[in-house]
Amino acid sequence: MLATAPVDDEVRLHILRELIASGAAPRVRETGAALGLSESDAVAAYERLAVNRVIVLKPGTRDVLMAAPLSAVPTPHVVRMADGQSHYGNCVWDALGVIAMRGMDGDVETVCADCRSPLRLTVRNGALAPSNAVVHFAVPAARWWENIVFT
Amino acid sequence: MLLFRSEEHVRQWCEARGLSEGAVFTPEQMWAVAKPWHGRRLERDWRRFTLDEAEAVFENAGLTGPFWKFPRS
Repeated sequence: MLATAPVDDEVRLHILRELIASGAAPRVRETGAALGLSESDAVAAYERLAVNRVIVLKPGTRDVLMAAPLSAVPTPHVVRMADGQSHYGNCVWDALGVIAMRGMDGDVETVCADCRSPLRLTVRNGALAPSNAVVHFAVPAARWWENIVFT
Repeated sequence: MLLFRSEEHVRQWCEARGLSEGAVFTPEQMWAVAKPWHGRRLERDWRRFTLDEAEAVFENAGLTGPFWKFPRS
């Protein structure tokens, strides 16, 4: 873990809010300009957030891949909110987390990982509607961060 | 982690990839984890859970045992 700076919360919130509003993660320079930060301060904040596993960057870049629970790239886990917005979750856990984070009704549309048939999870008034689906974690918690894209 | 139609589909998926079956649980349990894990991410004072707090979230959702423990190093 790296020591956090007060600006890290601002940068984290800016990334999440932009992802919610537009579906695209802001680049370092855009975040710096929006928050009145120098580019070097914005770079440092992105790097602290990545080291502290608050965001995941695309390999070899400072572009956001994941800002949990949101994905900055399309995934098979689409979240459709009651306000008409749609988002991508990194996995089913995160897709449900998007609904929890946004605090409104929503549906997760995904597919069975085995047969690719459509599956839907529905949250209304804070409760998950009954589902016959099952969740599978292939990797135990102790090894999640060896490859966070495959758990 | 992935969603499947049934446990039979989990078995087929694991067999096709030569993987051992990991942990299988219900979407309700996943929702019980997702709410505390991600529900406050848009709050300014959100902080990552400590390992103990994270394991308590799993335990409260009925996800117990070595699979759900983080290493202390």
